[in-house]
Amino acid sequence: MGDEVQQLTRAFSGTVSICHRNETCFDRSIILQLLLPLMPSLIIISCDDQLNAKRIEGLGGLGVDEPTMVSALARWRKQPEKRSGFRKGFPGFFKSHGDIDRCEEEYMLHLAAEFARFKNLMVLWAMHPWERDARLAHHVLHQHHPPAILVEVASTRSADELLGARRAYHQLFHHSLEEDVAYRAKDKPYCNLLVGLVSAYRYEGPRVNEEVAREEAKALGAAVKSAAAGGKKLAAVAENGEVVRILTTRSKPHLVETFKYYKEMHGRRIEEDLVGHGHGEEEETLVETVLCLAAPARYFSKVMEGALRDGADHHAKEALTRVAVTRSDHDMDEIRDAYLEQFGVKLEDAIAAKAHGHYRDALLSLVGAHHQQ
Amino acid sequence: MATNTVSQVVPSAEDAAALLKAFQGWGTDEQAVIAILAHRDAAQRKQIMLKYEQMYSESLMQRLQSELSGDFERAMYHWMLDPVERQAVMANAATKCIQEEFPVIIEIACANSSAELIAVKKAYHVLYKSSLEEDVAARTTGNLRIACLLQLLLALVSTYRYDGDDVNMGLANSEAKIVHEAVSNGTTDQEELIRIVGTRSKAQLNATFICFKDEHSTSITKALPHGADPTGYLRALRTSVRCLADANKYFAKVLRNAMRDSGTDEDSLTRVVVMHAEKDMKGIRSAFQRRSTVSLEEAIAKETSGDYRSFLMALLGS
Repeated sequence: MGDEVQQLTRAFSGTVSICHRNETCFDRSIILQLLLPLMPSLIIISCDDQLNAKRIEGLGGLGVDEPTMVSALARWRKQPEKRSGFRKGFPGFFKSHGDIDRCEEEYMLHLAAEFARFKNLMVLWAMHPWERDARLAHHVLHQHHPPAILVEVASTRSADELLGARRAYHQLFHHSLEEDVAYRAKDKPYCNLLVGLVSAYRYEGPRVNEEVAREEAKALGAAVKSAAAGGKKLAAVAENGEVVRILTTRSKPHLVETFKYYKEMHGRRIEEDLVGHGHGEEEETLVETVLCLAAPARYFSKVMEGALRDGADHHAKEALTRVAVTRSDHDMDEIRDAYLEQFGVKLEDAIAAKAHGHYRDALLSLVGAHHQQ
Repeated sequence: MATNTVSQVVPSAEDAAALLKAFQGWGTDEQAVIAILAHRDAAQRKQIMLKYEQMYSESLMQRLQSELSGDFERAMYHWMLDPVERQAVMANAATKCIQEEFPVIIEIACANSSAELIAVKKAYHVLYKSSLEEDVAARTTGNLRIACLLQLLLALVSTYRYDGDDVNMGLANSEAKIVHEAVSNGTTDQEELIRIVGTRSKAQLNATFICFKDEHSTSITKALPHGADPTGYLRALRTSVRCLADANKYFAKVLRNAMRDSGTDEDSLTRVVVMHAEKDMKGIRSAFQRRSTVSLEEAIAKETSGDYRSFLMALLGS
């Protein structure tokens, strides 16, 4: 086995951390160049060009084609000149450094990220859902990531699942989830909303008081109108006590009814009224909350689409693993339907087109598709 | 530790029969009822209720409510409920007139362990088809004056505190400062204070209270402004701090206040005795005795009378 490939393998196994850099710099041409030399067919040995072209196009960096790479390892055995040719054909990633072509950090980290995707998926999948949610929440809080993931965990889990996650959080981190959220978000306008969301232990039965739902739809409408009219940022809505109260204490069936009345009264869905008023963290947190509570399948399908887009950033791609693993046992069927409705393409086809190797196969099994490659 | 003594041997069928006998004829043999029911634990009481209904095709609860009256009846009604349901029922009643009865909610939220509070909330879901949080929070509608009070109540009720003993002294110090500032502000800018009291673990809060006392040579409750308290927020804050710091001492104080010379507050008396008789009444009794010249039983004997008194005494184990 070649030593640089050994180096690569060693770098990717064990405790490799994912590259946190924004990967939009890795545009498609670079990705093509990156994987091109690893397809032995295209440089040295003739092979089925069509098959390889299919593998390369639209990569966007979502996993690596392990079988092909492994066969490259075998074929390039004892042929250092081929590997040298590979490095030279690749000035973006290997800088000439005297006699050797030094590997650029970015290349290493990028490939590490690609190999790590599959590993992370397996680790996340194997964990107990409560521990998984607790770790996700902790990660958000201590890495200062945007609160979207926290909103997602708090709003899309059932009352008992959220409680279990909070219990796991106690055991893992010796604090309660709400105290950490309250502490980290204390200066943000959406602090009360977030604390309320993670502390919620909603009634789960179907009984809904129609009168109250109607009243609350009116109150929500008034809050949105007053924020828009006053020229204030929509953050004012997130701070509005009534809005926070309604969103963080009412049961989900009640909220579905409330949003239904909202649409009847104001002609538009509440998320449409909230979106498009700026893209600050505050606005997004509120919009995400409403989406997660009102239509989680639509929310998740949007997140998936964001991950499968060209030029998706690192967080967006991580979301693909997270959503596939966490929703696989729950509402994945609804998410697939929503995806088809919103984007006109089957979710499994989009994944198959963008992802590669074992990572792709794992995603497809989680998504519940029976896609034939 | 519980104070009421429980007999293990009597089968529920026998108890049910004895109760029926006590109900028959003119009037009720209240002493017989007390002699049985005050000396049964929650599981046994449930069995008796089932057996009674099975044997005589009527609800024991309803029969008791029709046979008994006044404070005695109210006490017995609450006593017969399952302990977790009892708290849910009391919490629900309190949400209906929240500005007067909020101490009940605070007691339930702060004196219970995290797991016990969750059990109460689960029972609440089943009984009232809504959550305790939403019923507490919904009181704000049209009543923004008490928004601060309700924010505190909601925070106390929603939290799922960490149960462990880990304490971060640096944090306790910094939060004691924040608390001091909020306390000096009166009733404005209370968000930080509510956040701390509503989310930190009890161990952490106690450390914070101690730091406060060390720094300012007075406890938080004494540092809070006395006097005008139109919304009840200050009283709620005082109640929650006391309850979180030392629940037994707090309940002993409630009992003392209930039995002050100017008439007895039977509701509070019943509530404390019935809710804690099979839980931690012994601790409350010791706390009461520490600051009183008479024992708890003597005080109750002096301030109450009749079957109500007998019932309370039985629950206290005398």
